[in-house]
Amino acid sequence: MGVFGLWGTMKQVKLKIGILGSGNIGTDLLVKVQRSPLLECTVFVGRSLTSSGMAKAQALGVRVSSDSISFFEKNADTVDLVFDATSAKDHKLHAPIFKRLGIRAVDLTPAKLGLMCVPSVNLSECLNETNVNMVTCGGQASIPIAHAIGKTHKDVDYIEVVSSIASRSAGPATRQNLDEYIATTEEGLRYFSGAKRTKAILNLNPAQPCIDMQATVFAKVADGTVPDIDKLKPILTEIVSRVRQYVPGYEVILGPIVENGRIVVMVRVKGLGDYLPAYAGNLDIINCAAVAMAEEYAKQRLELKTYSLEGRS
Amino acid sequence: MSHSASCLVRAESLRILAGNRSQLEPLKGTEVVVLGGTGFLGTWILELLMALNDEFGFGIRSLVVSRSTDQFVSRFPHIAKRDDIRFEKCDVRQLWQLPMDADWVIHAAATPDTRVHASKPLEVASVVAEGAMSIVRAAERMSRLRMLMFLSSGLVAAHDKESDKNIDEMASMAPPPESSFMYAGAKRFAETVFSAARSQCRIPTVVVRPFSLLGPYQPLDRPFAHTSFIADGLKGDAIRVQGDGSTIRSYMYGADAAFWMLRMMVGGKSGDVFNVGSDEAIDLRTMALKVAAGFQSRPEVLFNTGIRSVRTDRLVPSIAKAQDRLKLSPMTPLDMAISKTIEWNRLMKASV
Amino acid sequence: MKQNSILISDPSLRDGNHAIGHQLSKEQIAAYCRAADAAKVPIVEVGHGNGVGASSLQLGEAKTSDFVALTTARENLKTSKLGIHLIPGFATVEKDLRPALEIGVDVVRVAAHCTEADLCERHIDFARSKGANVWGVLMMSHMVTSIDLLEQARKMESYGAQGFVFMDSAGHYLPDDVSERVKVLTEGLTIPIGFHAHNNLGMAIANSIAAVKEGATLLDGCARGFGAGAGNAQIEVLVAVLERLGYSTGIDLYKLLDASDLAERELMKEIPTIKSTSIVSGLAGVFSGFMKPVDRISKQFGVDPRDVFFELGRRKIIAGQEDIILEVAKELSGQPRV
Repeated sequence: MGVFGLWGTMKQVKLKIGILGSGNIGTDLLVKVQRSPLLECTVFVGRSLTSSGMAKAQALGVRVSSDSISFFEKNADTVDLVFDATSAKDHKLHAPIFKRLGIRAVDLTPAKLGLMCVPSVNLSECLNETNVNMVTCGGQASIPIAHAIGKTHKDVDYIEVVSSIASRSAGPATRQNLDEYIATTEEGLRYFSGAKRTKAILNLNPAQPCIDMQATVFAKVADGTVPDIDKLKPILTEIVSRVRQYVPGYEVILGPIVENGRIVVMVRVKGLGDYLPAYAGNLDIINCAAVAMAEEYAKQRLELKTYSLEGRS
Repeated sequence: MSHSASCLVRAESLRILAGNRSQLEPLKGTEVVVLGGTGFLGTWILELLMALNDEFGFGIRSLVVSRSTDQFVSRFPHIAKRDDIRFEKCDVRQLWQLPMDADWVIHAAATPDTRVHASKPLEVASVVAEGAMSIVRAAERMSRLRMLMFLSSGLVAAHDKESDKNIDEMASMAPPPESSFMYAGAKRFAETVFSAARSQCRIPTVVVRPFSLLGPYQPLDRPFAHTSFIADGLKGDAIRVQGDGSTIRSYMYGADAAFWMLRMMVGGKSGDVFNVGSDEAIDLRTMALKVAAGFQSRPEVLFNTGIRSVRTDRLVPSIAKAQDRLKLSPMTPLDMAISKTIEWNRLMKASV
Repeated sequence: MKQNSILISDPSLRDGNHAIGHQLSKEQIAAYCRAADAAKVPIVEVGHGNGVGASSLQLGEAKTSDFVALTTARENLKTSKLGIHLIPGFATVEKDLRPALEIGVDVVRVAAHCTEADLCERHIDFARSKGANVWGVLMMSHMVTSIDLLEQARKMESYGAQGFVFMDSAGHYLPDDVSERVKVLTEGLTIPIGFHAHNNLGMAIANSIAAVKEGATLLDGCARGFGAGAGNAQIEVLVAVLERLGYSTGIDLYKLLDASDLAERELMKEIPTIKSTSIVSGLAGVFSGFMKPVDRISKQFGVDPRDVFFELGRRKIIAGQEDIILEVAKELSGQPRV
């Protein structure tokens, strides 16, 4: 098949994306989806047609609806996959509906119903799931590192992640759900690193100009074992380069080093500045991860299609 | 606009900036968005920014957002045809994006035309209240915003008309919930919206409340007493005062007001509210005589004493806060303000 | 509460932990609690320097776990109430607040940076629903105007806080600054107002008194001033001065003096003093935790650390912006910006 043929096929099989939630997160996802060669936003759904997100969608020529979840119940064939950027409470109501309608769901809320998804770590594992959860912004930034530490150290006793974000990037929902953020990040860290104990800390920094998101990962290996930085370095480099494929502004700014017997790695996340300001790297990274996941579904489907076409010929 | 009219305005801008421009230093090399930049105050703000760029190399980039850019561009090409000012036609209610990297936002979009307030109060409510909401939503996503300045109105704090006290920023009695107070009520609501934006979204905000102003660029067709005095004089008619002339106001020159506001934006703290105006109280009778004195023809001043109000209507700000906190004071004496306004309007008329 | 009665809270066993790397032991906690209880100190605050749930590699690990510290304190406080400090973002309701309330904590002080009160809604709400006495606390309060402070405090009041305390975390205030804030707060809030002083400029007592004179009714004080940096208002001095001014605290001064002697003997390695760096950071209004990085980086660039502190203060730098220290030092040294 020639290059043009492939493009032709891809055009036909662009994965049809619905975005539920027309706030800042949903609108930023929209901009990212429309840029992807593998994805196409077929509908942008919220509760009110008058938001700035809706204005942006209309300016981009995307179909909009204010029918919330009932839009999908009435038009299930419009989409293959939905990004749910509403709230944890709402996603719990939406999830069974998407399941019934046969629509894949990528959950950006802290509802934690589906398998936790960190693309640089478990992309292929997620391909068989119908509902995946994008953990938290701090989780997306720190879990790849925690995973690399867990992979290179047999017995990790404790991992701690301190994330700092600009106060202005934390909306009312983030503020009210601070405890859920912490619990979900800690659970993600445990799941992906195998550490016995984990702790997540979030600092909101009101400084002007706004600070970029930063996350510091501390790890303590079990008593009687020592940190193996030489072993960690190449694995970390590899996983960081995988993250950078979908989050270009992800950067290790310190480490890995050993300080007082514990491993320290610090990362900075600059956002793409699509719909949200660049300092909001915390919001950007979770959206980038969600889009990376959707693109993987798109590729998987493309391969299946190509495969079945070839099978028939 | 004639060359001589724009020369007058530039000379006025330089007079205001002389010895004061260091107070606007934080504007150097920054980007300013002026919403409603084609109105009276918006234009004066642009004039000062232009002078800072041309004469002092401030390197300020400006974006003017207004729903009436077309007329403006043809009327004032000396502003419209510049590299450092861009124009975008948009109603503030439809605004959903502001330049992400702009440093300052000045929200000066509203109509202070009292005829509109009377006939279309719902339109006023929509522009002021919905406009405030969409600006907040857009400003929330700006990455370097240093201050958002909202031009409210001296009318937001209803005052005791019997009182002869100057109104300060703390005056908090609300305007009555009646249609004829829609402009004041909507501005007051918008102030609350910006306060909430500060609280919920951490958007730095300063509120300024202009009182009566006069100067070049102020349309004369509005039924403000002092503008119709000038309009009467320019037509060569007698100056007609509605009522017995006991109403008390104070007048600040447009260039002074624009300078004050820029200073308040760069020097104020988030959450500050400042009155902008003169505290030199003057009744309409005296004002009419002063305007008459500004014309060589010395037009006659007529009083319509048939309308006699029992109460004296007084609207004069206290400007102690601007004076104490930012060391500001009115720079242009009233007589000079009147004569410059007359001269500018004459030059404009001649060029048509 | 009577106008002339002041409610004193003693965070020696919490703020003092800052001074010794969070190394207070179970025995030390027990001993001081007994002494403070005997002196009828109304509230004794216990825990890691940054409150419950804050023991971490980032801030320092506490020698004694929250559970052990609070259980020990509970066992040794008969009349005094047991208080905790809790910062959302470090502590959560499920991991930290619920267990603390189960141990029998009476007073929960939910704290946030002075601009971030809306992080505290759930924690204040939960503690109140469990019958605890909840106060809202704002830290580094000198960084905002009194209007903003009031606005943030109002959020806490609306969440159900029964008292409001503002902290002079950098030890920057002078008495007039405190008076002005308390005046605005008492006019704008209906709940009692409190003040927590630091002594960088030697003003801890004077500032506390200024607060009381404008209508504050809650004050914090530590034995010998045992607390972060230059220390807090010295509780035994505070109580003595309040007595002379005719305010009542319900504290037995003799026994309080005994308690502070015990604290000096048993708790601290050295009595807090105002060191040169404390003066500079207090004057500049900069978080005292910047001390070490500022010293190190200043040396590296050959600049005076005092100049660095003042520039940091001018730029309103706060904890978490340590990267700016490098930028400032570089600029002061005359090296071109990168």
